Parts: sequence; structure tokens; C-alpha cells
Amino acid sequence: MSTAERHIQIDAETLAGHRFPYQEDIALVEDVDLLAATPGGDINWLEDVGLLEEEGVPAVFDRYSNSFLKIYFPIPGGREDEIARKVLVKHLQSGNSYGIQLKAKHAKFPQPELGPWVEESKTVGTDWKAPVLEGWEKPAGH
Amino acid sequence: MATVGESRITYDARGLAEPDAAVPMISTIEGEKAEFDAKELTTRQINLELRWLLYEQRVKDVTVLNPSAKHSLGVGILTRCRLTFVGSLGYFGLGLIDGPEVHVGGRVGWSVCENMMSGVVVIDGNAGSLTGAAIRGGDLVVKGQVGARTGIDQKGGTIIVLGSAGSMTGFMMQRGRMIILGDVGPGLGDSMYDGTIYVGGKVKALGIDCVPGEWTDADSELVERKFGIYGLGSPPELQKFVCGKQLYNYDVLEPSERKLVL
Repeated sequence: MSTAERHIQIDAETLAGHRFPYQEDIALVEDVDLLAATPGGDINWLEDVGLLEEEGVPAVFDRYSNSFLKIYFPIPGGREDEIARKVLVKHLQSGNSYGIQLKAKHAKFPQPELGPWVEESKTVGTDWKAPVLEGWEKPAGH
Repeated sequence: MATVGESRITYDARGLAEPDAAVPMISTIEGEKAEFDAKELTTRQINLELRWLLYEQRVKDVTVLNPSAKHSLGVGILTRCRLTFVGSLGYFGLGLIDGPEVHVGGRVGWSVCENMMSGVVVIDGNAGSLTGAAIRGGDLVVKGQVGARTGIDQKGGTIIVLGSAGSMTGFMMQRGRMIILGDVGPGLGDSMYDGTIYVGGKVKALGIDCVPGEWTDADSELVERKFGIYGLGSPPELQKFVCGKQLYNYDVLEPSERKLVL
């Protein structure tokens, strides 16, 4: 696998075709309320999310699109995991995670577009139809 | 002669005999709360009713009466809400959930919360084998005992068991935390890659590459926080177990393999 191929497969901004503002400006994530964004009495699933590094750049992993989301602004010492979690939650709540964008077309049963991260998000997957490949016909006997 | 075993089952526990995808719409809805009796419903009908309530009626708190230990109930719920099952669930209950806070007032069968992504599940009774299999996030609290291979392939989240656990608990655990207050059977943490297992009782035998770990302030903070959240009182003295990393080869993993455990 070449470096270029590997990059395409695992980088959130490559999947989207552009960077997102909250990757470059800490002020855009400071107001994210991690407790409010998660179920239960603590930060729940975010306990397993922390700051990592991808291709030499600080990054947080987005399990909903199987890709890394790089962070380009300086991260204050001692707040590494907190900032990583806030960037990820901002990404999910904004609907920019590639997995969310696939839902409208590919979700096979009704579900909230923005999952558990945003209340009252619209329901997708109510009218899924199997994709049809143009020019393809079922083999005889099927 | 009284019927026994499977012959007592008068419904199709797997839901396969319910080709009708019509939502029953039998719930009593009051504001953001709803309640329905699942006694006469099939697995598919119960799950359809739940999704209809949560996704279309925008209900936030659902009580399911008489779940009757049917299998695969409450699966694939992908929103913040509260669910209460008044009774027991069969196997593969609450799998693949992302967001709900669930209370099960009875027991559960195999593989409860398999692949759970986030949320909270509290089970009043016992749970079968494979409890929390491949769980990726959230809290799973079992107030009774759990069977073998609890937390197998765990990739995140916290499993708390107030009773004892069976053999091969934490088998191939990759991340996350497990707190078992009772005894644990043989093979604890066998072939674990990462994660932490806390045990309050006796460990019959450690599995391959599972070793005692050094207790830190972070361990105390975690255990005390979880005990506080779930009203479990003061934590008992716990032993900590981690991966010995003799089988640990993450440095040479391909990027795609690395992501599988994140």
C-alpha cells in the first residue's frame, strides 16, 4: 500500500475534501460541554478517547468514520485528552463525520441522522432501497 | 403432563416468524414518556415499537412491560433516551446501542450489550456468558453474576459486576475497564492486549499474558467515581490486572489494524 493510499483511507479531512474550522481554532471547541454530550453521570464513552498522533500531527480518532481528525492548533499542556474529545464531539455534532454523511443514502432502518450527539436531529433511513448497478442483471436462475 | 424446556415457548423467540413489519402502535404515550405491554408481541414488533416511539414520536423515556425473556430486544437504539424493561431479556439484548440509558429489572441471557457504543445499562439480576462482548464504550453494570468470557474482545467502556464472573473473563480484551467484585474463574484476561481488570474476590487462575498491575491514583479515581455514580457505596479493596505485553506487537501493526482497537 502506498503512502498516498493509506492517507486517503484514514484521514477525515481527505474524506471530506477539506479541513474544518474547529481543527484550526481552539476557540471553536472551548464551549463544548462533554458531560452534556454524553449519557450517564460522567463522560461515558469519551473516557476511551484521547489525543493520539497521525502522520506526526496531533489527532483524535473518529470511530464513526474510521478515520483520524487532525488538530492543527497548539494544545495547552495538561488538556490534551479534553481538547481531543471536544474536537471530536464538535465534529460529530456538526454532522461532518463521513459516516454521518453516508447515512442519508445507506442507512437501512430509521435512525437519527446525528445519532446520540444532537437532540431532535432528523430521522434518516426511512426509505432505503437496494442500490442497482446500471446495466447489471441477475444471473439466470436467481 | 406439564410442558418443559423449549416446548413451553409459545412465541418465536428469534423473531423469524414475524414477516409483518407493521408497527403495533400500542403504547400509551404521555408527553415524553411511553409504556407498552410486550407480552403478546414478537421480537420484531417490540423493536419496531421502540424505534417508532423514539425516532418518530420523539419519546424520551419508554417502559416495556413483560419482555418475557425474548431475544434481541432493544437492539440498535441510536439515540439518547431512557429504557426500562420490567422483567428479563433473552440473549443478544441491547446489542449495538449508542446512547440509551437502560434499566433491566430482571436477568439477561448471552451477549448482552454486544458491541455497545455508548450509554448506560444496569441489570438487576444475573447475565449469561459473553456479557459485554466487544463493547466499545459506555457503562454496563450487572448486579448479579456473569458467565464465561465476559468482556471478550472488549474495546472500550466499563463493565462492572457486583457478583462473580466465569472462566476466560476479559479474553482478548483490547481496551476499557472491568470491575468484578466477586470471584473470577480460570483464564482471567487471557491474551489481553490492553485494558484494565479489577477484581475484588479470588482469581482462580490468570490467563496468558495477564499480570498484576501497579495501582495508581487514576485507578482510585475511576473506581470511586463509578461506585458513586451507581450508588454502590465504598469500593472494596481490589486487585488490578493488566496486559504483560509479552504478546504485544502493536508497533508492527498495519494502520488499518491499529484502527480496529481505537
